[in-house]
Amino acid sequence: MGRIGYFFLYLCLAIVAVFQIFPIIWLFMFSLKDNQEIFSGSPFALPSEFRWENYAKVWEGGIGLYFWNSIWITGIAIILTVLLASMATFVITRMQWKLSKLVLGLFMVGLMIPIHSAIIPLFSMFLNVNLIDNPWSIVITYTAYNLPITMMILLGFYYTLPREIEEAAIIDGCSVHRMFFRIILPMTTPVMSTTVIINMIYNWNEFVFVNTFISSDKFKTLTVGIQNFIGQYMTDWGAIGATLIISVLPILLAFLFFSNKVVEGISSSAVKG
Amino acid sequence: MKNKKAITILFTILVSVLLLAACSGSDDADSSSGDEKTIEFMHLWPEGSSAQHNKIVSEIISDFESEHEDVKIELEVLSNEQYKDKLKVLSTSNELPDVGMTWAAGFLEPYVDGEMFAPLDDLLEGDLNDSFVSGTAEAYAIDGSTYGLPLELNIATVFYNKAIFDEYGLEAPETLEELENVVTTLKDNGVAPIALGNKDRWTGSLWYMYLADRIGGGDVLTNAINRSGSFEGPALVSAAEEVQNLVDMDAFVQGFNGLSDEEAKSMFMNEQAAMYLIATWDLPNYTTNEDVPQEFRDSVEYFNFPTVDGQGDMDSFVGGPGVGLFVAEDSDVKEEAKEFVSYFVQQWGEKSVTEAGVIPATKVDAESLDLPQMYVDVLDDLNQASNITLFADVQMSADVAQVHLDMIQALFGNEVSPEEFAEKHEEALSAE
Amino acid sequence: MGLNVMNKVMSNKWIIALYVLPALLLIGVLIFIPLILTGYYGLMEWDGIGAMEYIGLENYINAIQDAKFWDSALHSFLLALFSTLSLIVYLAISLILASKIKGADLLRKIYLIPMLLSSVAIAQLWIKVFNPTNGMLNSFLVAIGFENPPAWLAEPSVVLYAIFIPILWQYAGFYILIYYAALKNIPESLVEAAKIDGATPLQIALKIKMPLIMGVIKVTVVLAVVGSLKYFDLIYVMTGGGPNGASEVMASYMYKLAFSSNDFGYGSAIGFLLLIITLIVTVIVRKATATKEEIQY
Repeated sequence: MGRIGYFFLYLCLAIVAVFQIFPIIWLFMFSLKDNQEIFSGSPFALPSEFRWENYAKVWEGGIGLYFWNSIWITGIAIILTVLLASMATFVITRMQWKLSKLVLGLFMVGLMIPIHSAIIPLFSMFLNVNLIDNPWSIVITYTAYNLPITMMILLGFYYTLPREIEEAAIIDGCSVHRMFFRIILPMTTPVMSTTVIINMIYNWNEFVFVNTFISSDKFKTLTVGIQNFIGQYMTDWGAIGATLIISVLPILLAFLFFSNKVVEGISSSAVKG
Repeated sequence: MKNKKAITILFTILVSVLLLAACSGSDDADSSSGDEKTIEFMHLWPEGSSAQHNKIVSEIISDFESEHEDVKIELEVLSNEQYKDKLKVLSTSNELPDVGMTWAAGFLEPYVDGEMFAPLDDLLEGDLNDSFVSGTAEAYAIDGSTYGLPLELNIATVFYNKAIFDEYGLEAPETLEELENVVTTLKDNGVAPIALGNKDRWTGSLWYMYLADRIGGGDVLTNAINRSGSFEGPALVSAAEEVQNLVDMDAFVQGFNGLSDEEAKSMFMNEQAAMYLIATWDLPNYTTNEDVPQEFRDSVEYFNFPTVDGQGDMDSFVGGPGVGLFVAEDSDVKEEAKEFVSYFVQQWGEKSVTEAGVIPATKVDAESLDLPQMYVDVLDDLNQASNITLFADVQMSADVAQVHLDMIQALFGNEVSPEEFAEKHEEALSAE
Repeated sequence: MGLNVMNKVMSNKWIIALYVLPALLLIGVLIFIPLILTGYYGLMEWDGIGAMEYIGLENYINAIQDAKFWDSALHSFLLALFSTLSLIVYLAISLILASKIKGADLLRKIYLIPMLLSSVAIAQLWIKVFNPTNGMLNSFLVAIGFENPPAWLAEPSVVLYAIFIPILWQYAGFYILIYYAALKNIPESLVEAAKIDGATPLQIALKIKMPLIMGVIKVTVVLAVVGSLKYFDLIYVMTGGGPNGASEVMASYMYKLAFSSNDFGYGSAIGFLLLIITLIVTVIVRKATATKEEIQY
């Protein structure tokens, strides 16, 4: 591949990059407009007047509390999901037992349930154990519903881990727990970071479960904050845009952090243990 | 050793999370301790999008609470779609709020059949005797009992941009022929004639309903729905034909079947289309809403749907009550809930029209209120109305309504012939 | 002696149970019970409000004869097909990004940004792109000389393909992220060795890297197929399955039946069939892509 080849490669990559960065710029413009401009003007256009009051409106709507709820619910659910999924994947791929294929199959079936057919049974189950209007119902639901996909992603990586490492560890008299927490988990940092990002996006943007299981304002999350601006006959899109921008910032930061972790491969952290 | 500990800690955390979850859930059960009673109330006017509605509701609630010191109102506010979904989920577990909002007729029916809503006849005969505009509370009656008390009343009219009309020397049409001429003139001058967002489907239904009303009279559609008539009758089939005539002459904006009502509305409000058929809940946009340019508000007027071939009564409307309040049959605080509903309806009427621009379903004395001219006109029209046909998708049961709405989209998209359109309706209705 | 100890330690039942049961318990309770209940509700005539009435397999039989259901299933299958094909593009992008070109790190981060947006934002963006009169796409088409560009979301013949574009785009970041992590997981030494042997970058990508991440690729095929077959979000927001069912997919059809038509029993039956169909397709995909043994390095 010569110079010209590289030039075209970079040209293509740059065009794609513009396309990919455009939505977030668009959303920012969107958040500073009113309905009139949003619907009629060109989406590229700068707002005729920067309506920062959209942000003020959103802030007065009590977004702070929603924000905090989103953070802790998302955070705990991610930790639970990634940890439990790693443990289960480890046992399924690395240890020898008869039912491993069957159990893996069960997790794969868990991937297939459409959430809209699950919410009514789930609601009545939570009602029976008094978990309605309780944020923990959301945490465990997120954990359970993200476990299958998280495991699927981990799976491909666990299969490729070299057996020699386990053998060496065990011959050295290392327990399975020690091996898992000190050797295997650090080795899978890149893929774990991947699943953290994916879980984070899913949990952060989820609203069907929150809407259904939570009724008190004090437990609601950011996605419900968006609903606040959808009216019976009129919707305040500018304010929705502002809510979306506010809500995308923390995951953008978290994403940048974890996306660096994706690159830190085996070389940096593992094997030493 | 350290790792064993880690595992133990992990599981302790997990188990305690689950336990904590299970235990802390019982909070609300004992909140109604002592003599204090709690009424759960769900409504669909979030503060962000419906500030005035929301404020009035809060005022009514705090007034009610100060007059009834032993009663507390617990609120849950959801947006329209979410409200409907949640009500559905709650009803599957028989967990409806004590007081909530419902729609009339077809929406209400399964809840009444399932004995979820309490009859409110005693209120209508008592405190609220003669307070509703005739025909509104009736839309919430099933087998002689009324299960919901309406809060709004809307009729659909054609709003038009008078500035555009004047520019091309056009007059508000009184017959379909005149309307078609208006459409042709506008099109010849490169102006999109009618804004229609038919992704939402009920918007197209309004056009069909009006044509049916004008061609076949005020009760032809209602009769077809209640099975004393038929969708295959000549009036309803030719209404469908007229719809397709309008579509064929490009009366509606381009790509209307993929546009939401909101997008269509914005085209009208940005003067990209000259006419827009919508119900009177939109009046604030054309009168009092400060976010809309004054110049535009001044140029908007409305006309009643025109007659067709000299048939039809221009005082006959498509419309009806919007949301109404229900009281749950299983409520622990039914008496208090009923009292609250009655109080709410009485307070709502005047406040809602002056502060939120809602046309309430209760009678208001328009003369004594300082209202924009367009409101006065609409209230006049309402007084003179010879008939109000309830929105078709509200009249129908939920599954027939879905067929109707899909068929409306197909009819407007020229995917079905008027005959097939009628036939599908008949199939769905007779399968009931 | 090494292997014996190894086998003994690695088949310790207690440890296996300790590691797998928490996850299994969670999905057992929160996914499998609702799933079984869905199948059970499918046997009922129930509007979700009043009492249930047992009607046996009637709902399932009706569903199998329901042309609208099969239309929506066909649309879901098409989405699955396109999603799977689009993986090739995402894999190519990931291979480029993971090779040591300048600026790859920045590009990768930029490419993944749209993935962070919620469906609400993505739907609004694409509604604006597709708007028939002043949308970005049609403005562009008119500018380059097309007289009558289609109303993308209104024409029954194009709406389905139009709406696939944002769906595929929405998931691009997801797959690129997974592929990228997998490619970064390949030991440098293997790539270096190939370079010394004189392999071109293209050969390294196709002959060395691709086979090494085959396990991950297979998983993404399953994820793409399953995700597509139960896909709901953008379809519901952008077209509501319309016009007149032209963009209906299985999940949106199920939702409409259960929540809009008050036909909860029938909706549940459709939901259960959706699951069965997905299961069958997944088994077929797994069988078709199976190899004797997963590769290890």
